[in-house]
Amino acid sequence: MSGIMNLSNLTVVRGGQTLLSGLSCACNAGEVVVVLGPNGAGKSSLLLAMAGLIPVAGTITLSGQLLSAYDRREICRQIAWQGDLPPTEFGLTVRQRLLLAAGEADQGIEATAATMDIALLLQRPLGELSSGERQRVELAALMLRDTPVWLLDEPTAHLDLKHQIRCIQMLKAQSANGRAIITVLHDLQQAMAIADHLILIDGKGAAEYGKAAELFDGNRLSQLFDAPVIARGSVLIPDYGEER
Amino acid sequence: MLRWSALIAAVAVCLLIGLAMGDQWINPFSASNSLDQTILWELRLPRLLTAFAVGGLLALAGAWFQVLLGNPLAEPYVLGVAGSASAGAVTGLMLMPESSWIMSAGAFTGAWVGIVAVMFFSRLGPNRMLLAGVVLAAFWSAVLALLLALLPEQGLFRAFSWMMGDLSRSDLPIPLLLLAWVIALACGLLLSGALDKLLLGERHAEALGVDVKQLRSRLLLLASAVTALAVTAAGTIGFIGLVIPHLMRLIFGSLHRAVLPASAIGGGLLLVLADSAARTIIAPAELPVGILTAMIGVPVFLFLLLRRTA
Repeated sequence: MSGIMNLSNLTVVRGGQTLLSGLSCACNAGEVVVVLGPNGAGKSSLLLAMAGLIPVAGTITLSGQLLSAYDRREICRQIAWQGDLPPTEFGLTVRQRLLLAAGEADQGIEATAATMDIALLLQRPLGELSSGERQRVELAALMLRDTPVWLLDEPTAHLDLKHQIRCIQMLKAQSANGRAIITVLHDLQQAMAIADHLILIDGKGAAEYGKAAELFDGNRLSQLFDAPVIARGSVLIPDYGEER
Repeated sequence: MLRWSALIAAVAVCLLIGLAMGDQWINPFSASNSLDQTILWELRLPRLLTAFAVGGLLALAGAWFQVLLGNPLAEPYVLGVAGSASAGAVTGLMLMPESSWIMSAGAFTGAWVGIVAVMFFSRLGPNRMLLAGVVLAAFWSAVLALLLALLPEQGLFRAFSWMMGDLSRSDLPIPLLLLAWVIALACGLLLSGALDKLLLGERHAEALGVDVKQLRSRLLLLASAVTALAVTAAGTIGFIGLVIPHLMRLIFGSLHRAVLPASAIGGGLLLVLADSAARTIIAPAELPVGILTAMIGVPVFLFLLLRRTA
């Protein structure tokens, strides 16, 4: 395997519990890897490990070098991470939040804000926004990070349908432009729409990596989530029971 | 720019008013006799400069502690440094009741004992460190209460006036305090970019290239040292470190390249005002300055908060 980011025999332990072990995968430029699994399985921890934010056993390489050999600033130049919504207590405005991501260069903020429909919110404090609006701010902040690797933890969380679609389209476009994208998603249709590869984490220590076309399988996903997943045409959807 | 000009102008006006105010009003521009000159330049000016430096240092420490602990309610004394400094000052008073400098020396020693105790818990992360600090503060309060119970009656007034803030007996040289104000502000400005990122939380700051562990250590040391110096110079003066950074965020925004200089100036301004009032209202006696900092600052802060919310 020789992607821009390679994981070899990776084991993630948090709070004394092994979340996943033995994961090996390659994340290539221009490809999207979607991480799927139940709550608490270790998806977010995997992203934190890939961002160099928590220690792991095993090997992570970035552009051919061990991730642990980079200092924080160099990792920051190569990897952008989108995680939880940041706190709002200190009154940062949307523009200030975006400036922190853009590295104080004002260029591109207006255009990026327009892409995420937050141009009219630029002067507002983050604490006055809804969760969906704050998520769009975080996506805009990510878009201002021109790094070869993006790590996203549930980028469509809190978003309405219009912005979920816009987010997925944006990720597709960024991937087409050569960015390596690794993202945690919970929506199977969104995952199917963008995934080139999948990482499936079962929450019991096992992790599986492969091509999306091979791993998108109703039975496999039913087992993974311990929940019924059915095929409707070529689409896999959760089985909510009979429609009312 | 207008807001900065207004802040600088307010400092100049307050320093002039502070010079003039006291048990007798003296116009600094027309003081002619030597007694007035002595009062103005050898008594009031040094005290005003001490107040300005101490107020600025407390506000800077408050801004740093709030970001360090990720808690807008944090202030310079939240981790118990004021309690340990007070315990040190009262211990000094018990040991050498006649000495003029012993309370300052005791406070400085006590403050650093408190800082070392807090630093032991700094690796626990902001929330647990805050919890440890609050518990330590309770411990130092108990020690202080014990010492006060054992202190001879004639020392009690001096101890209480020091504990409520007292600029009249500051032993520290004014150039040292002003130099500390400049160095603290410069250090703060050097860290301001990283501090801004820390407003997003530790994970986001790290993801944006900040070495959070190193930053937290530096910030804790800096904020604690500044608090120790301020407490040594003037006793425990509350409120400034809590409210001035918030006030300045309301006026100048949240980024630290503005918040820190504005707090350093604004904290100084508030303490100059409060101290001028404290030595005038019941002249020739003095009110504890800590009472005045709260009485001036609270209405101003609440007014701005209401205006911003509206």
